[in-house]
Amino acid sequence: MMTLLGISPQLLFGQLLIGLINGVFYAMMSLGVAIIFGMLRIGNFVHGAQYMLGAFGAWYLLHLPDLFPGFGLPSLGYWWALALVPVAVGLIGALMERVFIRRVYELEHAYGLLLTVGLAMVIEGLFNVGYGAAGQRYDIPAALRGGVNLGFMFLPYYRLWVIVAGLFVCVATWYIVERTKLGAYLRAATENPNLVRAFGINVPRMLMLTYAFGVGLAGLAGVMAAPIYQVSPQMGQSIIITIFAVVVIGGMGSISGAIFTGLMLGMIEGLTKVFWPQASTTVIFVIMVLVLVFRPAGLFGKETASAHAADMSTARPNSFLENGRLWLPILSVVGMVLPFLIYPVFGMKILCFALFACAYNLIFGYVGLLAFGHAAFFGSSAYVAAFTAASWGFPTELAILSGMVVATLIGAVFGWLAIRRQGLYFAMITLALAQLVYFYAIQAPWTHGEDGIQSVPRGYLFGFIDLDDTMNMYYFVLAIFLIGFAAIYRIGRSPFGQILKSIRENEPRAISLGYSTDRFKLLAFTLSAMFAGLAGATKAIVFQIASLADLYFTTSADALLMTLIGGVGTLLGPIVGAIVVVTMQKEFATLGAWVVVVQGAAFVLCVLFLRKGVIGTLEDWMATRSESKRIAAGYATGLAAKAVE
Amino acid sequence: MNARVSLSVSDLQGWYGESKALHGMTFEVGAGEVVTLLGRNGAGKTTTLRAIMGLLRKKTGEIRFDGEDVAGRMPEYIARRGIAYCPEERGIFASLTVEENLFLPPVIAEGGMAVDDIYALFPNIAERRNSQGTKLSGGEQQMLAIARILRTGANLLLLDEPTEGLAPVIVQQIGAVIRKLKERGFTVVLVEQNFRFASKLADRHYVVEHGRVIDTLAAADVAGNRDRIQNYLKV
Repeated sequence: MMTLLGISPQLLFGQLLIGLINGVFYAMMSLGVAIIFGMLRIGNFVHGAQYMLGAFGAWYLLHLPDLFPGFGLPSLGYWWALALVPVAVGLIGALMERVFIRRVYELEHAYGLLLTVGLAMVIEGLFNVGYGAAGQRYDIPAALRGGVNLGFMFLPYYRLWVIVAGLFVCVATWYIVERTKLGAYLRAATENPNLVRAFGINVPRMLMLTYAFGVGLAGLAGVMAAPIYQVSPQMGQSIIITIFAVVVIGGMGSISGAIFTGLMLGMIEGLTKVFWPQASTTVIFVIMVLVLVFRPAGLFGKETASAHAADMSTARPNSFLENGRLWLPILSVVGMVLPFLIYPVFGMKILCFALFACAYNLIFGYVGLLAFGHAAFFGSSAYVAAFTAASWGFPTELAILSGMVVATLIGAVFGWLAIRRQGLYFAMITLALAQLVYFYAIQAPWTHGEDGIQSVPRGYLFGFIDLDDTMNMYYFVLAIFLIGFAAIYRIGRSPFGQILKSIRENEPRAISLGYSTDRFKLLAFTLSAMFAGLAGATKAIVFQIASLADLYFTTSADALLMTLIGGVGTLLGPIVGAIVVVTMQKEFATLGAWVVVVQGAAFVLCVLFLRKGVIGTLEDWMATRSESKRIAAGYATGLAAKAVE
Repeated sequence: MNARVSLSVSDLQGWYGESKALHGMTFEVGAGEVVTLLGRNGAGKTTTLRAIMGLLRKKTGEIRFDGEDVAGRMPEYIARRGIAYCPEERGIFASLTVEENLFLPPVIAEGGMAVDDIYALFPNIAERRNSQGTKLSGGEQQMLAIARILRTGANLLLLDEPTEGLAPVIVQQIGAVIRKLKERGFTVVLVEQNFRFASKLADRHYVVEHGRVIDTLAAADVAGNRDRIQNYLKV
């Protein structure tokens, strides 16, 4: 048998085929994401969940008699699913657009992303509650069983079908968008929705249909994927991050570009599996990095950077809630008393996550950049601190410091890459880069895969204070938190912090004043990563473990959620948010899988009803109250003056 | 004035966020008339057109089109009632070809111009129908922006500074087009700063300042009042 570089053609073509199939799914999914992003300006994070819905829809149809016994329903097979499920998923999408997504069109991009993250968590969480991590089998339809031997490889009919049908759907979508009247409306509305409305076209309805169509594509991909991959609640979660990377690589502005990029990346992934299997999960993210370095707008991108930092801060600078000099001593005192009131370990968890949220607030609240990959800094620092303490016997302080240094370096590199793109892309890129670190940690030997690094010694502070004593540990963590909190406050109030604020409020103006805003953004990002690293390393020492969960995107989402609940850009918001989220996680821990659903719902509710967060709302309320008091007082003195006359 | 009133705007107030742009615009356009809104930059002319079209949401007052108050309506509804809008920035879509741009606005009523008539009126557009919309010259883009609202059957055209930034020869062509539109019975509201251009076309001129109409001149009065008008428009 002929071989190539010691690799049999069966293996090579087999993997290429798998790669091509993955590529078809990437193309179908990124097509939907790109169309939705183009028209609605929404980074549809829930796309993965909708894909999963498609697969489950097919499975449900097959098991109708078991699910609803006594109704005499027939079991509907694959072909029925292919016809019915995409429509059903599309309708669900239309409903979601109507009820939720429509409400955030006028708001900053960040809210759309947060909303869809929340919706994804709710949907995937619910399925997780129902079906757990185990996958459900879905058999290949009878008509497509078996395959053909091509001589150099065996080609299963079903895979051939997926490739042909998937490509057909992609090309048909391309044709509709690029060559039909309907597509012309779509393209025009992407450019200038108001003018298209002024021509008499119902653009809001079109947005809904576009969303439903994109989502329907995801549903269709889900049905097609069901016989190949297992039908599981998690199937959409990992693919969506890859899809975001594909969209970043392809760039906006070209439907054919999105299709081509998806196919190409699937094939490259397949080839990598042949030649360097360990790298196959990360290769797409590595390509994304290369594209960002050499062609920031993406391979087919036309857009030039124009979106800027978004001012989402809800802080009122004059409120006494923003006065760090007042609050630092208060927090110190409260922090010192706290372990006598609550369980100290719980207190330490709150402190670690509060610091993490404060660090995140530095970039999200102070600079207005929607970073969505802070798990990378938190988690990598946790791993490094855990590893150096456990394996190299580093003293605790040094272990934390080394974690911080690594997080800072990673932050500098990620920041350097990510600030090339703005707005939603910034979020997608940081998310994808963090996923790169996550995949690295799954595979690297020193991180111990699923187990993580356990039994990390807490050690002795300054060589003699035993940190295995819970109280000692608590006060050490409190000190770290207060130092971090004070430093972040100081940064915000420094001249550097004022420049960050000016970037947030009006980046073009800051540029026109002569500031090279990218450098300031990069520095702020790096600092934010550093403090996130401090939080992560401390957490690893306190809980004596570094695990994959620390690196997973849910940790990034936690940081965002805490900041949002507390009040973006406020001094105390991240702390309040950390208390709420950590308490919520503890209280709902008994609910098991429901935690994710509750957290997702919290996201959705926050975006819809509490955009200013607890502290932001409080500051607003106090400001209006003191304002009305002032007016009332002025009115009273006015009356008094009149009376004197 | 013509017997039938096509558009009547009364006491229109409008805001961009907190800042008020329209302070009680009131004017009337008879069916088949060409009427101009003259005035300096920032007087509120474009805002008035946007308000009529439903694109300016924050407003009070009355906008009657063919007798129906459309002030609270959405742009897509107003367009389907028969008002067509040609924005100042022209709004040619870069991702559409010239032909796609031309055919984009849906036909909302009978009586629109036939495509052949449009191509006869704008020969340049016919020649370049397969180019990308924004590859046309500024003058051609302006022609296209006007051309595409003629097919739809709308009878009231809102033209926002169609001559801005164009060469004199093109301005003359656009003047000829507007005259032909009038002959065909279109009603036109023309926003202009170029009074010399407007004075040859319009039946009536409304002078706009600070978001309200401060003076009205019929075409017949223009000759005797040039100084007065120049005074309104001088910077």
